[in-house]
Amino acid sequence: MTFDPLSIRSSFPILNQMAHGHSLAYLDNAATTQKPLCVLDAIQDYYRNTNANVHRGAHFLSVRATNQFEGARDTIARFINAPTQSHVIWTKGTTEAINMVTYGLEHLLEKNDEILITSLEHHANLVPWQQLASRTGAVLRILPLEANGQWKAECESYFTQKTRIFAATQVSNAIGVSTPLQTMLSLAKEQGAMTLVDGAQVVAHYPVDVETLDCDFYVFSGHKMYGPTGIGVLYGKIPALEALTPYQTGGEMVRKVSYQATEFNDLPYRLEAGTPNIEGAIGLAAACNFLTEQDRPALLAWEQSLATYTYKRLKSEKSIILYSPETNTTLVSLSVSNIHTMDLNAYLDSQGIGVRSGSHCAQPLMTELGIEGTLRASFACYNTIEEANRFCDVLIEAIDILGDE
Amino acid sequence: MTNFNIKEHLQACRSKEETFKALVTLSKNLPRLSEEEKTDENKVKGCESAVWLIEATMDGKRHFKADSDAKLMRGVLVALLSLVEGKTIAEIQAMDLKAELTELNLSSYLTSSRTNGVLSIIKKLTSC
Repeated sequence: MTFDPLSIRSSFPILNQMAHGHSLAYLDNAATTQKPLCVLDAIQDYYRNTNANVHRGAHFLSVRATNQFEGARDTIARFINAPTQSHVIWTKGTTEAINMVTYGLEHLLEKNDEILITSLEHHANLVPWQQLASRTGAVLRILPLEANGQWKAECESYFTQKTRIFAATQVSNAIGVSTPLQTMLSLAKEQGAMTLVDGAQVVAHYPVDVETLDCDFYVFSGHKMYGPTGIGVLYGKIPALEALTPYQTGGEMVRKVSYQATEFNDLPYRLEAGTPNIEGAIGLAAACNFLTEQDRPALLAWEQSLATYTYKRLKSEKSIILYSPETNTTLVSLSVSNIHTMDLNAYLDSQGIGVRSGSHCAQPLMTELGIEGTLRASFACYNTIEEANRFCDVLIEAIDILGDE
Repeated sequence: MTNFNIKEHLQACRSKEETFKALVTLSKNLPRLSEEEKTDENKVKGCESAVWLIEATMDGKRHFKADSDAKLMRGVLVALLSLVEGKTIAEIQAMDLKAELTELNLSSYLTSSRTNGVLSIIKKLTSC
């Protein structure tokens, strides 16, 4: 392996601390990643040297803030290979981005139109569509992918003339599998459906190219890709973004206002009411630059090797059931017969190991798997083999302590 | 295990790991509920692990039975029920159960996060 996680760890001082008397092992990166110094510096630098409101002010700091803010938009556009920065709408995160789309498209849906999502979605890419369906009389249909992400022969029949919107995650947050995205997007487009891709679990690990994906919308959060919380992105093709009714109105998004009517501004501003999260945007751009400066294939190979290594170590344990795939994933998701994942989680925590347990905001998927939840260890570029080993050792210890009745 | 022993057992814990192991030990003292008793009605909402709590009042005194599918939660229930078992509703309502649990080194189970429903259990214990 050419990549050395120890060299990158020095950019993440938060990792260098004790938790309950043990060195901290942070393995909850699918929930949120830690932030490198360059992101922290960018945010602090913004407040120390630049802070002013953007777009409207005609003074020294405002011009500088606007340049940095719009420069950040440009950085995002290049990061996901969007044609221009007008395609990039700032949001609070993935959830808000999807809500903007579900509210914005409401006027296009009629009774019995179909919204199709997959069986591997996070609640963020499920509940907003379900609510949209209940508001409009549209029907929410669930594409029954195999729990390993694989395509079933019957899946094709779910894409019909009635399918108006198709929304899918690229990688499952709960079990780490990749979905057959290109196949699904082609089928959706053949039926003239609008398409949305949830890239929340992708952006930290895989390069994103929205032009090649050719989806109408692509959404992700900053905090899962080494950026700050409270900032995310809605990418859209211009006609798709134009089709959205702004779900919030107010300042910034308007061109002309009278007491009788309001003329909205052009994209991207039309969809960004109110003073934006300026430091979030600048911090996220710094996170993009951080990733771009790395040898990204090496980072991904490293993260996948940690997941595969962990999988292989745990595979032989009789009581452990693994739900994540052995390869091509950056996380391990498992349950243990007769032991609650919260109990395992609590023991791992007592040993300084931070993981996640529960349904991972994917309750219908857990129901389908016939379990209450899983224990998930998710890796980022700064994790080490030692941490993967500690996770395995302590997990086996926990099973030992918790297993005897 | 007597109430005094439970208190001593938990207060002796000096680390998160010791508390964890003490709760595992305590959990073995909780009589399990039958499947028929684990109804939706008896379920405490707001717990990530399933928790069932049954209350019966006899001669003004409250008696509790409880269960959970998570072992640590069963340990917490043993500690919690030892504080309130056989008391009147007025006596229970007069108690500061959060403070009592903190004294037992269980304060980390009192966060309002969605992972811990102990606050919901306390709410149910103190409601009429």
